[in-house]
Amino acid sequence: MVKKIPIGPFHPILEEPEFFELHVDGENVTEIDMKIGWSHRGIELLSEHKTWDQVPFLVERVCGICSCSHPFAYVKAVEDLLGIEVPLRAQYIRLIAAELERLHSHLLWTGLAGHFIGYNTVFMWAWKYREPVLDILEAVTGNRNHYAVMRVGGVRRDLPQDEIQGIFPILDQLWKNNELLTGAIVDDPVIHARTKGVGVLGKAMCREYGALGPTARAGGYDVDARRDHPIDAYDKVDFDVILCENGDVFDKAVVRQLENFESIKIIRQCLEQMEPGEICAEVHEIPPGEGLGIYEAPRGEVLHYVRSDGGNMPMRHKIRAPSFNNILTNEYSVRGSTIADAGLITAAVDPCYSCTERVGVIDRGIDDRYILSEGDLIRLSQEKTEEIRKRFAKE
Amino acid sequence: MEREEVKKRIAEKFGNKVQIAESSPKRVYIYAENDIWVDLASFLFNDLDARFDTGASVDDRDGVEVMFFMPFDREHYYVTIKTFAKKPNPTLPSISNVIIGAKWIEREIFEMYEVTFKGHPDLRPLLRADNRPEDFYPAKRETKETHEMPRSRDDGQERADEVAGKPPKGKNP
Repeated sequence: MVKKIPIGPFHPILEEPEFFELHVDGENVTEIDMKIGWSHRGIELLSEHKTWDQVPFLVERVCGICSCSHPFAYVKAVEDLLGIEVPLRAQYIRLIAAELERLHSHLLWTGLAGHFIGYNTVFMWAWKYREPVLDILEAVTGNRNHYAVMRVGGVRRDLPQDEIQGIFPILDQLWKNNELLTGAIVDDPVIHARTKGVGVLGKAMCREYGALGPTARAGGYDVDARRDHPIDAYDKVDFDVILCENGDVFDKAVVRQLENFESIKIIRQCLEQMEPGEICAEVHEIPPGEGLGIYEAPRGEVLHYVRSDGGNMPMRHKIRAPSFNNILTNEYSVRGSTIADAGLITAAVDPCYSCTERVGVIDRGIDDRYILSEGDLIRLSQEKTEEIRKRFAKE
Repeated sequence: MEREEVKKRIAEKFGNKVQIAESSPKRVYIYAENDIWVDLASFLFNDLDARFDTGASVDDRDGVEVMFFMPFDREHYYVTIKTFAKKPNPTLPSISNVIIGAKWIEREIFEMYEVTFKGHPDLRPLLRADNRPEDFYPAKRETKETHEMPRSRDDGQERADEVAGKPPKGKNP
């Protein structure tokens, strides 16, 4: 008997509401239908009514977590249109802010994923380790979030030279903490049993769906805009692109954890290579033309396309966040899973997850309906982990 | 595949149906006619091994310019394919049957600009709120020119009062 389970769309603590309708046969999901747009704010149209210099502040608010990635991609789009080079010091400051953002985003996801599977210790430790990252961000940009650091031609704020030495010990500690956290996740047999083989998205399907970021790299699909389309100082620093093979939830977690080490490496190199100098190139006016800006945000590649008609505002500004491509992959990866895993799989994409406010189960055969809350869905997932944990304890 | 090789193979296959331009070594723009649109996307994706990224559209007065971004990652450049859907009733063949990942972006362009993608498996509006009228396409130039948006909440209330025939607040009738 096929049942339909609507999930979503709203949840107060998370930023992107979505609606999923799971078609289930017993415990297994046979089909999924998705609807987005619950918080459509018309930012692309708003942007056409802002001056070129005001737009970074607007696009910062596309996503609270990626508040460096969107302005970064936007300023690169305008700089692509202008064909200008940014001063070296500004390039390094941009990289530092962007990589710190990746660190805090990945740690946030690890914590949430821990919570979903019933590992609240992972949740609390990951968020505890995230705090020093926000402290460094505050030292570098002046803000813990919504950094307001990007501008066309460079950055708005210089990094005080005497702050730099104080950042290295925090990075060393972060490295150790991340090693501890990675070990706790990778060596835990219960997490293996709970996440391996769940929500598999292989290389071929990643390519078909245009998957991006850790979602794609976990499946062995080798895309990383930092290496493939290097902007600013990314070609001056040394880092590895982390790849896994299986494309399941476990690999998505591993990719994110290992990427944290690469981010710390990049930040350290930037701080070492930085020299005093200019932080912004002069930009007077934007000529007619079009520009494309690409940046690898924590969740995958962000794309901004701008077109100018020579005025003081963009004539068209297209924004594509990585979740737009990644959420669509759920259509494939959730199919065949159980209801207890469905929440975990959709969360593994890190889709600004906010879809499980309430779940209503509709049984068409007997016209019966009951509602499960978000807490119920997490409880289902946590109970499954507990069962596995007990089984391991017996063995 | 290198940039020059890609340009050569596309020019060979599609002849005068395409125009190729470059703004920098990292950006290639290909303008195509409507009838080879799906073939061009399929040729880039399946034969030349480009990645599918996403799409965008720009409303000109005479039609809607639709573009898709297909990067070549190993060689570090972006190919943008463009075509022009003429008004009234802009229509294009859908590439979602060739590239699954294009499904949502075509739905978005349809609902924002009223470009109908023929052959799309499921051309429902993607972002539209339930209470928005069926024939309202917010990003269309005609909509923007004729539909007055309230500038603030107060302004919206004032205009609602005006429509209802109520006297404006704070002013003597």
